[in-house]
Amino acid sequence: MTATGSQEPRNRARPAPATAAGTDLAGQIALVARGETTAFDAVFEQIGPSVFGVVKRVIRDPAQSEEVTQEVMLEVWRSASKFDAGRGSATAWVMTLAHRRAVDRVRSVQKEAERERRVAAAEIPFDEVLEAVESSLERERVRRCLGSLTEVQRESVTLAYYRGYTYGQVASLLGVPTGTVKTRMRDALIRMRDCLGVAE
Amino acid sequence: MKLTRQSQIRDAHTLAGAYAMDAVSAPDRERFEQHLAECEDCAQEIASLREATAMLGAAAAEPVPAGLKERIMAAAAVTRQRPPADETEPVPLAHGTWARTGIWFRSLAWPGRLTLATAGAAAAAVLAVAVVFGVANSSMQQQIDQAQASSQQIAVVLTAQDAHMTTGTVAGGGTATIVMSHSRHALVFTAQGLHALPGSRGYELWLIGPGGTRSAGMLPADSHGMTGPVIASGLRPGDHLALTAEPADGSAHPDTPMMLDVDL
Repeated sequence: MTATGSQEPRNRARPAPATAAGTDLAGQIALVARGETTAFDAVFEQIGPSVFGVVKRVIRDPAQSEEVTQEVMLEVWRSASKFDAGRGSATAWVMTLAHRRAVDRVRSVQKEAERERRVAAAEIPFDEVLEAVESSLERERVRRCLGSLTEVQRESVTLAYYRGYTYGQVASLLGVPTGTVKTRMRDALIRMRDCLGVAE
Repeated sequence: MKLTRQSQIRDAHTLAGAYAMDAVSAPDRERFEQHLAECEDCAQEIASLREATAMLGAAAAEPVPAGLKERIMAAAAVTRQRPPADETEPVPLAHGTWARTGIWFRSLAWPGRLTLATAGAAAAAVLAVAVVFGVANSSMQQQIDQAQASSQQIAVVLTAQDAHMTTGTVAGGGTATIVMSHSRHALVFTAQGLHALPGSRGYELWLIGPGGTRSAGMLPADSHGMTGPVIASGLRPGDHLALTAEPADGSAHPDTPMMLDVDL
């Protein structure tokens, strides 16, 4: 993890800590890598609600969301030594793990039918996302930045990220060519990144 | 040819947003990751986009259900951590610990569908949590009672620095989960779904290796389909673990065909 000798890892502008809560999450994860359970406790306190929140937003079923949250946090515990602060923030590392696990869970074939039934009964329009995303200052920023996107960009992002759809599925939901959706997704995230002030 | 290659690259570039949101199918993901491996700019772009998606995720934060943190902390306490990379020297082979890193990762990786509550393969881990933290539910109580005398030894094996887990399928039915520690010269054996034997017969565990063939004891009767945990001590390098059906009071030598034979 630590580079030795003169070969400096190429340092892209280190992303600013993504959230106020992200303060020294990286430092805590370094302690977790040494097996410190109190640090793991602190990591959970900081990021557990975000992990659970995003997992539940994608999966929706509370019991499965708890299971996946547990898997994600155990993965953080097991793989803390693999976290490389030179490649992004600790928050992004954990949230990437969390989102991917959640998406993998809902895409597994056997879960799909079950989920389809639930989701069909519960359409979640953008408004609901906005509603859930208000309150704290940080959420306000996300809300404002989402609001600065074009409609297709915003829908592409919320359907993909919060509902776990592939760009192909998003394309068919929106009735837009897949190429367009891919482009919109990338443009939207670049815009979100710049709006949120997370440096490249 | 060149145009095709360029259009493939362009295509891969446009996938960055979808990829950063996990909005790609499995084949697309694989294709894009191949591209990422040889495109430093793309890797940087993905890293920066993930800072944005992390914010989207954090914005969805909600209170964690009661008890979840405690379960996670308990599970972490009995889950071995991956070692950091060491590029200056080859992985040590002392005690054979790292020799089966691959097996360790496969078996303890908490694969996608595994949950502590349901997975038979995690039986040992569940029991470890229960034994160490005293949070057993009623269906576990019987195993816990049986394990009481040896629970200390079991905890020692399960929490050993070099503990690793392997599983095996028992001929005739059932799955065995073995957590072993060469530094502690012991292993913990549990099984799920073993075929019931007539009363006159019982399952016997054996350690077989350069040190000879030693009985590691009879398995207790199963309870709700779960057998054990039992501790087998006297583990030596090069041993395998075998399981046979023997007369209920045990044999001096394994007589019947091996129903399980696991390298340790």
